[in-house]
Amino acid sequence: MRKSLDTIIETIIFICGMLSIVFVVLIFGFLFKEGFAFFKDFGVSKFITGQFWYPSSEPASFGILSLILGSILVTVGACLIAVPIGIMTALFISEIAPKGVRDVLKSLVELMAAIPSIVIGFVGMVTVVPLVKNIFNLSTGLTAFAGAIMLAFMAIPTIVTISEDAIRSVPWQYREGALALGATKWQTIRRIVLKAAMPGIIAAIMLGIGRVIGETMAVMMITGNAAHIPHSIFDPVRTMTATIAAEMGETVRGGMHYRSLFAIGLVLFIITFIVNFTADLFLGKKKNR
Amino acid sequence: MIKLNPKLSQKFSYLLLCVATILAIVPVVVIIFIIIKNGASVISWEFLTSMPKNGMCGGGILPAIVGTLSIVLCAVLITLPIGVCAAIYLNEYAKDNLLTRIVKLAIVNLAGVPSVVYGLFGLGVFVMFLKLGVSIIAGALTLSIMELPVIITTARGALSSVPYSFREASLSLGVSRWQTIRHVVLPNALPGILTGAILSIARISGETAPILFTAAAFYVPHLPHSPLDQVMALPYHLFIISTQIPNMPKNIIYGTALVLLMMVLTMSCVAIVARIYFRKRRKW
Amino acid sequence: MVNKIKVENLSCYYNEKCVLESLNIDVVQNEILSVIGPANSGKTTFLRTLNRMNDLDITYSRKGDVYLDDNNIFDMKMEDLRKRVGMLFAMPIPLPMSIYENIIYAPKRLGLITRKSYQDTIVERALKDASLWNEVKDRLNSSAMRMSGGQQQRLCIARILAVNPEVILFDEPCSGLDPVSTVKVEESMLELKQKYTIVLVTNNVKQASRVSDRTAFFLTGKLVEIDKTAKLFVSPKEKTTEDYITGRFG
Repeated sequence: MRKSLDTIIETIIFICGMLSIVFVVLIFGFLFKEGFAFFKDFGVSKFITGQFWYPSSEPASFGILSLILGSILVTVGACLIAVPIGIMTALFISEIAPKGVRDVLKSLVELMAAIPSIVIGFVGMVTVVPLVKNIFNLSTGLTAFAGAIMLAFMAIPTIVTISEDAIRSVPWQYREGALALGATKWQTIRRIVLKAAMPGIIAAIMLGIGRVIGETMAVMMITGNAAHIPHSIFDPVRTMTATIAAEMGETVRGGMHYRSLFAIGLVLFIITFIVNFTADLFLGKKKNR
Repeated sequence: MIKLNPKLSQKFSYLLLCVATILAIVPVVVIIFIIIKNGASVISWEFLTSMPKNGMCGGGILPAIVGTLSIVLCAVLITLPIGVCAAIYLNEYAKDNLLTRIVKLAIVNLAGVPSVVYGLFGLGVFVMFLKLGVSIIAGALTLSIMELPVIITTARGALSSVPYSFREASLSLGVSRWQTIRHVVLPNALPGILTGAILSIARISGETAPILFTAAAFYVPHLPHSPLDQVMALPYHLFIISTQIPNMPKNIIYGTALVLLMMVLTMSCVAIVARIYFRKRRKW
Repeated sequence: MVNKIKVENLSCYYNEKCVLESLNIDVVQNEILSVIGPANSGKTTFLRTLNRMNDLDITYSRKGDVYLDDNNIFDMKMEDLRKRVGMLFAMPIPLPMSIYENIIYAPKRLGLITRKSYQDTIVERALKDASLWNEVKDRLNSSAMRMSGGQQQRLCIARILAVNPEVILFDEPCSGLDPVSTVKVEESMLELKQKYTIVLVTNNVKQASRVSDRTAFFLTGKLVEIDKTAKLFVSPKEKTTEDYITGRFG
């Protein structure tokens, strides 16, 4: 009796272990099913390289190039802000801050990660957007630049947490060796610690990028949602995520527009898959060393 | 280029790192401050416990609070047992083989899928294919899949922090593997698993994109009666009143944001404090 | 003399690397057999094979057979084998529960307790047999993690006794203990010999000479010599044995 109960439970545990695979396959399958139906009608290359996103005009045009560029512009902008700040913060927390301060800082970073994106979007809308408008004298503050600033705040916790992990897991002997040779603490950090932690830091950056690309609500509220090819970071842009979130409500279930949004989802899925897979490779490299 | 004195360059660099840290931390404080300063005035018992009035320009946000709580609780009830079991599988049973590598890759990938793509998936599978409609249960299922990798990862961390020797001691007495897990490993991993669960509740309470097409409704004049009802949800409500309704009184928007923020931050703080507490009084 | 355990042609490997080579050895009922030898001699691998603790290690593999009362242990259910062959580890590993719960843990999980009133009896008997009863009888409900190292190790012995094993394996049980606690553990070993068969792996040659009936000397994965303890320590047949027990290497 006891034995067979054990077997049943262990079978359940095994099934739960396999569910992650099932879900990934299911998600991909569903996106692919709808996306494929769309590609058959519209064509992949026209979809990816088309400049015009006019889903509800006659005839409709489903080119997502401007959306892809929008996503890239916001992501690059956010990374330019978040990566240096994130890595420097991680260095400060793990190498310089005294223990008490370190715990407080880490908790604050964790709180930052917990703030819902909708709240960040709202605060960005009432503070950063008008600020950008006035400072740069623009007709609207709803721009890729404002979006990049807010998204940087959301990527920083990810980058800090994972980089900090990587920096802390650099063995003590490395530092002692350098310090014993007469290097200052900063020289040790810059030349030895940073180098040894590099795979983990790259993984942190990748995961930060993943977070930014996938971000939806804040982007939708701040970037202006204009589906045209941006010329500068001070243009309003529309990202792939915002397009899905904003337009899904208006589509006819099963229609061309509906399917095109799944196709965008498929593109996003593939991008984030590659980003996370690469990050995982770097994290694995760190572990094997 | 002038070569800087190493001591001086160290001082300069430390200053730079310190400034960066302040830049990273200040937004948290500023965001919380802005929301509290502008929102605190509307918070009252009535605001929390009454229905919206005048096209949501007045009254309270009760249905949104209840809606969010019901979606989130359902989601956690679904995801926690599955996630803990999956963590047990990975930490206690899985051998180092191809299958395990694929499972781990799947988890990494699930963790990285954008929230709006989960929304699409939930719409396609739960709302349309399983015909659950836009409902609490469809939203909860969507959120539970999204939260699964997080629960698995934290639960695994908690399990692996239980010393291996405890397992050996129990097994050497003839106690079976599952019994060892159930009576030695799990009780000692429980605090870690629960703090992880609280953090996930906090996280999914604020998610908007996954419930956008699966659970959330613009306005529902009554509280939910069954899991198949559409509901209002705090984050979605905040989205609507801040972007879709012109002339919305600003203090109601801030008040709604404050309630959402406090809900999320309180749970996060509880989890952080609990984690520190349990780590300190751990018996081994 | 009844042979309790019979080892036939046992070879063990970690990642294909041989750590124990064609071992043949018998353990007699109610004796203390001690196994001595320097590091990497395969003595701990041998011990951990006897109750199949090594099966948890995926790099481990073996050839050959081990019989317990004429039953091949590799055909037995792992749980049944470990219930009959208990093991005491080098470091004391009390479970993070009270003293009382530590002892009652395994009997409960194995379904040995049919009536609740038995529990107290089992606990008292096990603690008495491990000569720990007098020290802890007034604080059975306090945490086992707060006992001294020697007490913890004897608690672990009591925990094994509570499931009524036939053989007890000691894996360098005193390596983490002070001399006074070591004496106490050795005393309980001699007591236990009346009821149980004991295999003791130890780094402490003197301990082997103090407590065991027979002693086996292992070197680099091979059994060099096995004999009555008195004989092996006075007139060993092999030169290497003599060198080891006189402290010339190891």
